[in-house]
Amino acid sequence: MFIRTALRGLITPLLLILGVAVITFLGVLGGDQVQTSLTEMLIRMVVVVGMWIFVGNSGVISFGHVGFMCIGGYAAAWATVDPNWKSIMLTGLPDFLQNGQYPFPYAVIGGAVLAAVVAIVLGAAIMRLSGIAASIATFAFLMIVNSVYSNWDSVTGGTSSIIGIPTVVGPWVAFAFAAGAILLAYAFKSSRFGLMLRATREDEVAAKASAINVFRVRLAAFVLSAGVVGVGGALWAHFLGVLTADSFYLSLSFITLSMLVVGGLGSLTGAVVGVVVVTIVVEVLRALEGGIALGKATLSLPPGSQEIGLGLVLALIMIFRPSGLTRGREFRLPWLQSRAGVVVSNTAPATGE
Amino acid sequence: MQTEESLLTDRPGLLAQPQAAELTAENVVVQFGGLAAISKVSLTVRRGDIFGLIGPNGAGKTTLVNCLTGFQAPTSGRVLLGGDATSGWSPDKFRKQGVARTFQAGRLFKEMTVLENVEVAAVGLGLTRRAAQLRAMALLDWVGLAPQANRIAGTLAYTDERRVGIARALILSPAFILLDEPAAGMSDAECEDLIEWVATIPDRFNCGVLLIEHNMRVIMGVCDRIHVLDGGRSLAEGTPAEIQENPAVMAAYLGMES
Repeated sequence: MFIRTALRGLITPLLLILGVAVITFLGVLGGDQVQTSLTEMLIRMVVVVGMWIFVGNSGVISFGHVGFMCIGGYAAAWATVDPNWKSIMLTGLPDFLQNGQYPFPYAVIGGAVLAAVVAIVLGAAIMRLSGIAASIATFAFLMIVNSVYSNWDSVTGGTSSIIGIPTVVGPWVAFAFAAGAILLAYAFKSSRFGLMLRATREDEVAAKASAINVFRVRLAAFVLSAGVVGVGGALWAHFLGVLTADSFYLSLSFITLSMLVVGGLGSLTGAVVGVVVVTIVVEVLRALEGGIALGKATLSLPPGSQEIGLGLVLALIMIFRPSGLTRGREFRLPWLQSRAGVVVSNTAPATGE
Repeated sequence: MQTEESLLTDRPGLLAQPQAAELTAENVVVQFGGLAAISKVSLTVRRGDIFGLIGPNGAGKTTLVNCLTGFQAPTSGRVLLGGDATSGWSPDKFRKQGVARTFQAGRLFKEMTVLENVEVAAVGLGLTRRAAQLRAMALLDWVGLAPQANRIAGTLAYTDERRVGIARALILSPAFILLDEPAAGMSDAECEDLIEWVATIPDRFNCGVLLIEHNMRVIMGVCDRIHVLDGGRSLAEGTPAEIQENPAVMAAYLGMES
């Protein structure tokens, strides 16, 4: 009985991780091209699951999370790039970064912490706004981050890239982080804060009347979410080995948001499924753009089909499944569903007054 | 092991709130632009009482409840909880200090389960999920909705919806609970059922109830005192018997001639 109860609590994240593990295992058997796409997908999964912690539970769309990815990525690069390189590219770093070099785990932690700290400051202002105003403010944040990182030459290299970042992230490393992000996101959803935040999503007024401090729970989720997305940025940096501020802008924001929407904002399962489905769609379209030989003729779609195709998929989802492929439900095994009213036993001694 | 009774009505230590004996509106005025929604209304709800608030549509009943729960700041006048000024309190602060409310439209968290709907208020008050679930379950049991605990709240019948809304407001035993037309849209029989049940709340939870309700017969039968609003002004206040005999009330609200 105890095992069943424990399993019921963990079944969703474990099934999701298992599914992702299978995909990773199959992908690793493929060639270099497949492995690259796979790693990219798993890193995006970290980012999208991180976004979901805030967006999914609060119902407030954020256009700014890719900004946290940017912050995390650069922070990680500052830590791991060889000081000799840094002395050429970046000259304005604080001393401990300018002359030091730190291992990858430190870089990941640094990316998460810097993104989270920025989120505290930003969130303290933005989380007081109502839903749609907050969304617009997050977009402004994205533009500010892009502007700062594209122009602060001595610290970010400006519009030129940072190069020489150790490329230590492969499929399995990315998988490990994706699994961690899934566990963390599920733990958050099940926590006190997750429950309160979901209540604010359903009805903000009733949530206030239920003793919930809307600002506080939104801010907590925003900071945690930014931290996870910051980790995603750090992974991205150590996957590509090169960073440019412009890679963390509109197109990446669009693709990560569409992953969330396609899968369904309402559930963690939706975030994970969305990443996989959108990746497959994009990869198929990319392959078709490149051309596929059919006998003598080569079938190829015109360039730009990828974006149009993704837009079409998004439009179809909005029309036929407005709450996403998962309809906001988590993935479960039916025979582990709990029955009504098992939470408390009615056998507690009723001693009366 | 806590008894069911204590799960239902005791207040855990972390809510060491001063349990106020009175909730008072003092010369409360609310103006929207140049329009006065409420002008100079004063009333006092006492612990243990059922206090009826009646008046025609647009009389300012809901606005007054909003003032008493922090959703609306009075333009002038004060709201006092046990003699303490409450100015600047947010709605969640009111709830933490023991003033709970329900809404006309129910306003349940529709995608969440019935249990979560009730549980979340206890969590908002500072309990762990586990402790909150135990209390929510005990309360649902009392309300008679324990078998529905794991249902999605949006799928409930509206009579059950109202009960869940009231349970959500009652969890951790507030000092005052303000019910904004809990029986709106119900048939006479359903309304009587619900109000009969509401009438047991003050004794059971040692709290004061403010009740907005249109059904005169029902409200006259259950209230200790009744306050009549009309056009944002206080028309009368007294026991049900006094209200029934008040000529101004009859003329303005009951529409009776005698």
